[in-house]
Amino acid sequence: MTELRAGRTGEPLGIARDEARSQRPRYLDVLIGLAAFGVLAVLPLFFGSKALLDFVIRCSAFGLFATSLNLLVGYTGMISFGHGMFFGLGAYGFGLIMQRTGVPVPVAFVATLVITTIIATVIGAICVRLKEIYFAFVTLAFQMLIHSTILSWASLTGGDQGLRGGIPRPVFLGIDLSNHVHLYVTSCALLVIGLLLMRQIAQSPFGYTLRMIRDNANRASFIGIDVWRARLTIFVLAALFASTGGIVMALFVSGAYPEFAYWTISGEGIFINMLGGVTTFLGPMVGTVLLLILNDTVTRLTEYYGIVLGIVILFFAIGLRKGLMDFVVEWYGQRRDGAGERG
Amino acid sequence: MQRTRKPGISRRATLALMGTGAVTFATPWVARAQAKTIKVGMPTILSGRVAQLGTSSRNAVMLEVEKVNAAGGLAGRQIEMVIRDSKGAPQEAARVARELVNTDGCELLIDAEASSGAFAVHEVARDLGVFCIHTNSETSALTADPKQHIPNAFRTARQGVHDSIVGGSYAAAIAKTKGLKKWATCAPDYAYGRDTTGEFTLYLKRFAPDVEIISESWPKLFQPDYTEVVTKILQAKPQALYTCLWGGDLTSYIDQANIYAMFSQMEVFAVNMADYTALTVVKNLPKGIHSGNRYIKTYPATAENAAWGDAYKAKYNEYPTNWSWENATAVMLIAEASKKANSADGKKIAEAMRGLTIKSPFGADGTVTMRAEDQTLIGYAIGWGTTIPQEPYVPDVKPGDWKTILELEAEWKKSKGYA
Repeated sequence: MTELRAGRTGEPLGIARDEARSQRPRYLDVLIGLAAFGVLAVLPLFFGSKALLDFVIRCSAFGLFATSLNLLVGYTGMISFGHGMFFGLGAYGFGLIMQRTGVPVPVAFVATLVITTIIATVIGAICVRLKEIYFAFVTLAFQMLIHSTILSWASLTGGDQGLRGGIPRPVFLGIDLSNHVHLYVTSCALLVIGLLLMRQIAQSPFGYTLRMIRDNANRASFIGIDVWRARLTIFVLAALFASTGGIVMALFVSGAYPEFAYWTISGEGIFINMLGGVTTFLGPMVGTVLLLILNDTVTRLTEYYGIVLGIVILFFAIGLRKGLMDFVVEWYGQRRDGAGERG
Repeated sequence: MQRTRKPGISRRATLALMGTGAVTFATPWVARAQAKTIKVGMPTILSGRVAQLGTSSRNAVMLEVEKVNAAGGLAGRQIEMVIRDSKGAPQEAARVARELVNTDGCELLIDAEASSGAFAVHEVARDLGVFCIHTNSETSALTADPKQHIPNAFRTARQGVHDSIVGGSYAAAIAKTKGLKKWATCAPDYAYGRDTTGEFTLYLKRFAPDVEIISESWPKLFQPDYTEVVTKILQAKPQALYTCLWGGDLTSYIDQANIYAMFSQMEVFAVNMADYTALTVVKNLPKGIHSGNRYIKTYPATAENAAWGDAYKAKYNEYPTNWSWENATAVMLIAEASKKANSADGKKIAEAMRGLTIKSPFGADGTVTMRAEDQTLIGYAIGWGTTIPQEPYVPDVKPGDWKTILELEAEWKKSKGYA
C-alpha cells in the first residue's frame, strides 16, 4: 500500500510546488473549472453521439467518487476499502426518496446528503480512530454491513433485484432530468462544482492539516491538532462527494442496485486512484477516464476483460510504480529541469 | 559521450501514440449505419461465476439466427448479432445496452441478463423505446407488476410463479400418497431463493394442508461447503426436502450430501436438478430426486425437441441449458413476428408479437404463446419427474397443467396487488 501513498516519500520538491500553487490566486481554479464546464456543455452541439454523453455522465459519477476517495487516501493517508458504501447510499437514498415521496429533485438531493452525513458520522466516529490496515478492514466491514442490509431489507430496497420501476424525475427550474442532454449538463455541473469544492478543501489550511496528519499524526497532535476530529471531518466530507457520485449513477441507470454498495465498487475506486495517481489533485479524474475508456473498449473487443485489466494493473504497479498523472508530472518536471540545464 | 536526446518517449512518438489512441477510442463513437443488415444487440454475462449463462444463451441465439438468416432474415434483412459482456454488473448492463443502441446502431435488443441486470436493461428499454426481449430473468415481477410494464419489452424466460405452482401441486400429490408431513427447505440466500421457496411452500400447503416446515436453511449463494447445512437437515429428520439451489451450488450440495447418505433418508425435491448443467456434473447422481424440468431433450418427448437438443450438441459439443431454450425462443418469436408484420421495425414486431402463438419444440403442446396482457411467455413445457443416474436422466416427466397454472397465477397476481 505504500505505493498509494507515494506523496509521503515524496519529494520535498512536490510539496514546494504545491505550496507555490496555493499562492496562486484562488479564482484561477474557478476559471479553469468554468472553462472545463463550458467545453463540456457545448460538446453535445458538435457531437451528436449519445454514447459520448453517456461516457461523460459515467465519468462524472466515478470521477466524483474516486476524487473523494483520494481526499482520504492521497491527502490524509486513510486507505478506505469501504468508500463504495457511500456511493451506494447516495444511489439508494436518492432513488428511494424520489420513488416514495415524490418531492422535487433538489430536495431529494439535499435529503440524501443529509442522510449520508448522519451515517458517515456514525461510521466515521468508529473507524477513524483506527490506523492503517485496521481502518481499511473496519471500513470494509461496514460496507459489507450496508450491502447485506440492502440485500435483506427487501421490502424497502427490493433486495438483490435493486430498486425497480425507474426513478421519477419531475421537472424543476426548467431542468428535465429524463432528457438526456439535461441530465448530461447537470452531471457535468455536479462534477465541476464537486471538483472545485474538493480542490478548495485540499488547498485550504485544513487540507494542509490533513497532509500533516498523513505524514506524521503524532507530530500533528503535539502541535495541538485534534487528529480524530480532522479525520472524521474529511471522512464525512469525502462521503458526501461519493454520495453525489452515487446520485449521478442512479440517475444514469434510473435505478439503484446492491452492486453499487458492494466492495467491488470500492476496489474500483482504489484502482482508479492507482491508475491516475494520488499525488496530483486531478490524478483520480484522469484515472477515471482511463479506466472507463479501457473498460468500454476492452469489453467491446473481447470477453476476457479480466485478463487485460490485470495486465494493465501489473503494468502500473510494477512497471511505472505510480499513477499516470504522477508519472506525467515527474516526467514533465525532469524534462523542464533538463532543458534548464542545457540552457 | 554526448547525448543528443533525453531518454524516454520522444515528442513524435508521443504524438503518434496520442493520435492512435484518439482514433481507436473515437471509432466506436461514430455510428455506422448499414441498412442492409439489421443489428440485434445482446447484453449478457460472459465472464465470472455464471459465464455459462451467457455462453449457452449466445450459442442458442447463434444457432437460431443462422436458420433465420438462411431463410432470408427479418423481412429481407440479414441479422447481425452484437453480443457483449456486462460482467453481471447492472450499471454495466445498462451502459452496454445503451451503447448497443446508441453507438452500434442495434435496432432490437435481446436482453440475456440475469436478476438485477435485467431490470437495469428494462429501464434502458423504457428510456430509449427500443424493442427488447428479456430471456433469462425468471423474476415474476418483471412482467407481472404493472409498474414495470412497457409496450416494447417482452419476456421469453420461464416465470418463478409458474414453477412454484407446478412444483407445489406435484409435491403435494406425492406428499399425500407417501404421507410426507415434515418438510425441510434449503435455498440460496437471495431474492430468487427466498421468493421461490416462499411460493413453493405456499402452493404445497394449499394442496396438502397438513404439511409442516420444520427446518429452513439459507446457505449463501456460491457457498463452497454445505456440511453444516446437510447436518442441520439430517438432525431435524424431515421426511422431505425442498431445495432451489442451482448450477454449481446444487451439484456441490448433492456431492456433499451423498457422503451423509441424505438421499436415502428423505424424499428430495430439487426444482433445478433436471438441467444438463447439473445432471452431467454431479459425480454420483442419486436415483429418485424429484425435479422440475429446466431443459431436457426428452421432455417434451417430441422429435422436434430431441432434434433441437442434438443439433445444439452437435454444434457446440455440450447439451443446451435452460437459458438456451429461452433465448432460442426469443429469436423464433422475433422471426415469426417479423414475418407476420412483414417488417423488421421494432414497433411493428412488438405489435405483431402481442398474443402471437408459434410452433415450438419447447411448447407443452407444440406451441408457445406470447401472452398479450403482460407480454410474457406461456404454454412452454413445464413438468416434474424423478432422476436416474444415466441418460436420459429424467425418463418420465409429469406435465403441469396450464389451465391450473393460469388460474392460480391470476389469483396470485390479485393477492400481490398486480391485477
